[in-house]
Amino acid sequence: MTAISEVPAQPGRAAILIPRRRRRIKGSSIAIFAFLTMVSLFVAIPLYVVIVTSFKPIGEITLGQIFDLPVHWTIQPWMKAWNELCTGLACDGIKQGFFNSVMILFPSLVLSIAISSITGYALALWNVRWADGFLFVLFICAFVPFQIIMIPLIIVVASLGIFGTVWAIALVHAVLSMPLLTLIFRNFYKDIPRELINAAIMDSGSFWKIFWEIVLPMSGNIMVVVLILMITTVWNDYLVGLTFGGISTKPMTVILANSVITSRGEAIYNVNMAAALLTAVPPLVVYFALGRFFVQGITSGAIKG
Amino acid sequence: MMLRWSWAAPRLALAPAVVVTLIGFVGSIAWTIYQSFTQSRRFPEYKIDSARWLSQYERLFANETWWTALQNLLILAIGSALAIVFGFILAALIEREKFGEGLFRTVLLYPLAVSLIVTGLVWRWMFNPSLGIEAFLRGHGFENASFNWLAAPQTAMYGIILASIWHGLGFYMALMLAGLKSINTEIWSAARLDGVGVGRLYIEIIIPMMRFTFLTCAILLSLGVVKAYDIVVAMTNGGPGTSTWTPAYFAINAYSTRSNIGFASAAAVIMLLITLAIFLPLVAATAWQARRREAARG
Amino acid sequence: MPEVRFEHIVKRFGSFSVLEDLSLRVEDGEFLVLLGPSGCGKTTLLNLLAGLLDVTGGRITIGDRDVTDIDPSQRGLAMVFQSYALYPTKTVEGNLRFGLSALKLDRAEIERRVSWAAQLLQIENMMGRKPSQLSGGQRQRVAIGRALVKHAGVLLFDEPLSNLDAKLRTEMRLEIKKLHASLHQTIVYVTHDQIEAMTMATRIAVMDQGVIQQIGTPDEIYEKPANLFVARFIGAPAINTFDATLDMKAGRVVARHAPTAIEIDLSRHDFRTKPEAGMPVVVGLRPEHFSVNDASRDDGAVRMALPVRYSERTGSDATAFLEAGDQLLAVRIEPSLMSGLRIGDTMVASFPTDKLAVFDARSGLRM
Repeated sequence: MTAISEVPAQPGRAAILIPRRRRRIKGSSIAIFAFLTMVSLFVAIPLYVVIVTSFKPIGEITLGQIFDLPVHWTIQPWMKAWNELCTGLACDGIKQGFFNSVMILFPSLVLSIAISSITGYALALWNVRWADGFLFVLFICAFVPFQIIMIPLIIVVASLGIFGTVWAIALVHAVLSMPLLTLIFRNFYKDIPRELINAAIMDSGSFWKIFWEIVLPMSGNIMVVVLILMITTVWNDYLVGLTFGGISTKPMTVILANSVITSRGEAIYNVNMAAALLTAVPPLVVYFALGRFFVQGITSGAIKG
Repeated sequence: MMLRWSWAAPRLALAPAVVVTLIGFVGSIAWTIYQSFTQSRRFPEYKIDSARWLSQYERLFANETWWTALQNLLILAIGSALAIVFGFILAALIEREKFGEGLFRTVLLYPLAVSLIVTGLVWRWMFNPSLGIEAFLRGHGFENASFNWLAAPQTAMYGIILASIWHGLGFYMALMLAGLKSINTEIWSAARLDGVGVGRLYIEIIIPMMRFTFLTCAILLSLGVVKAYDIVVAMTNGGPGTSTWTPAYFAINAYSTRSNIGFASAAAVIMLLITLAIFLPLVAATAWQARRREAARG
Repeated sequence: MPEVRFEHIVKRFGSFSVLEDLSLRVEDGEFLVLLGPSGCGKTTLLNLLAGLLDVTGGRITIGDRDVTDIDPSQRGLAMVFQSYALYPTKTVEGNLRFGLSALKLDRAEIERRVSWAAQLLQIENMMGRKPSQLSGGQRQRVAIGRALVKHAGVLLFDEPLSNLDAKLRTEMRLEIKKLHASLHQTIVYVTHDQIEAMTMATRIAVMDQGVIQQIGTPDEIYEKPANLFVARFIGAPAINTFDATLDMKAGRVVARHAPTAIEIDLSRHDFRTKPEAGMPVVVGLRPEHFSVNDASRDDGAVRMALPVRYSERTGSDATAFLEAGDQLLAVRIEPSLMSGLRIGDTMVASFPTDKLAVFDARSGLRM
């Protein structure tokens, strides 16, 4: 495209040999590059600061040089954050929160993906007359604030006898994410060619067999996208964990927030920052490992209404 | 007529989702709305006093903190809108200068993977007056540097806005980038051949073409702001005093600290109304977009 | 092999009616082609038979079984789709096997059928491949194989050749015809391509606007079109039609074309309805039935000398377009005549009586 508008056409020869022009670096390019670098620094610096802080002994922190690299590197704060971080009177470290978060994550992933992929499949590919109306309701449900359903959900979960367990938190996550995930799955399955499903309906006719053998094997991409979306949502959640978790079942974010925000004692910044990093690591790993899908996951729920 | 499996199976499979929607969403919303008209306190009551059915709302709007929360909602919305503006500028720049696109995108997007709690704690650390950026600046000759925003009621909201922008910038950039990439590349060539300047090209052609993307961003941002809770807890926990309360914080607080179900429900209902007011344009815009796409298809 | 009956079928989408009271019988072992322009309802009819759509009214039977309310997989049918609709995540073999999943066969029988179909369609050496690794023609074979393994009494085809290039299409046409000849299944085949219909069908049902216009053998459809629509839809180049008026001249019936004063002798035409003087008619003359510059033939219905406007050659054929008043008359000529032909030359074309088609201009029906 650039070649067409910039290089004057040389009839005959141009088609055979287009001399590769050296890119001239323009002033505007440098300005743009500099601007982008500055913004990137603004975004990157907090991560840098947190990392260096978490490796500094407390004595270096009190110097107030937050941008300096540690003089004496130490992993003491990390050990302390993992094993001895205090919430209230208990000083069991953030590790309990980590295990709780894992225990919450897996059931909620299985539950939410199972229910919303099947629902999306049924709505997209099978003839259900009220599908459009139901989709509209789901569309609205995907955006209502949590506060409007919080208290009744507490009552329901309590009546199921699981309030305060990791199961309660996982269940509520599955409920909350169901509308959005269903919409994402439904939009994906809607693009499967109609004839393919017709062929499967004539060959097998079984709702479940078609799902297992034909539709699910075609869902690889969207599964990764949804998985990433759910992992970040559930892992990073604070409010649901706070509301539905018991004393020993709170997820990592809640323990982190409680210990840093509400602790009365002397603030130990390096340990706090190490704890914050420990909490942030799993989703960050997912992000850096699967960046492309990550962006798709974060935005897919947003654009396709 | 006999029962056809192809008719029954999908309906059976939809049952769990329908049950979840009816109990978890529709029923729960109805319950909360109902409770907002009762005198429920610690435990739900189901009697509506016809003379005082609006009393929770009267108390709510007589509450000064509630007004602070509404005001903060507006400030936060306007302030974080900068994330959309910067998101667009960044997307446009990245789209133009392909050099280093991957790296910039990776850097700009990573905050999205970080929870708002961690985001808040990190910025709280940066704002720390004696050890954070302020101390650093003063230590390097800027004696009057003031970066202790979170300590003063007048500036605490700006601290929260800054952290919100930091967190959301990449998201809006990604949406904008997707919008920009969907624009036909021939338009760029055509504008070049016509000798249209870059500024005019963006203002007169590109931005109008992306109005649906802008609308989507604005609505998503507004919905996010209505839900703003984690970031407030992590950065200021509502303080100093009640100066950084938001409606979301207010509603949770009314339930968990004041143990007042009726009052909390009333606040939640107002949140729902705000959400619906934001949401209606999105529904309209989606319908409009769908119709336009259909028209384009012929 | 079973016969298929549609009885008083009604199909509406909301208030939009596609089929109204359509009845059709497909005899057992027959190769019936549903032919018509797009939107004529032929694919809807096929989907109703397959069970992919539900009828609004009426009954469908296969053999002695009423299948109107039966699930598609239980109707004893197999179908080949326009886009082939191969399962992309399954191998060729997996595709064939999945076709058998509703039949509850034992393992040996499945193996036997899969290898039978693979051999029949010469796809044995690609059984382990995925559809994306196959060419268009190979995919087509797999799609047919997936339908054949079911040993269904009735085989449905929905424009199966429209995605192939011209050469492959001709090959597959022959292949499908051979399959029918050896397997004797009842076939219902939907297409808008008249050449496919003419070459493969034992009977053709021509459809337009949800109505079956005519049903008959390819020869009947071609030689004795029931109405103007069928006459015009079948044949390339299309049939020439003249708007004319009937006249009785000394006991002889003639059709007079006003703009050119051409008179067409219809006295030996085998009228199905009684001709009356002054009746407006449409006379159809197929381009290939003309004989050109042949003075020896005088049994014709009409002889006309008209100026040549232009001519075109398509491989083995050539067509001259003669100017007849305000319309052009297409005449098939020997390609060897092309070289001597100049624009403006007068050509004498005569048309035999027994090939004439006469239609009532008001009803469009054949007379």
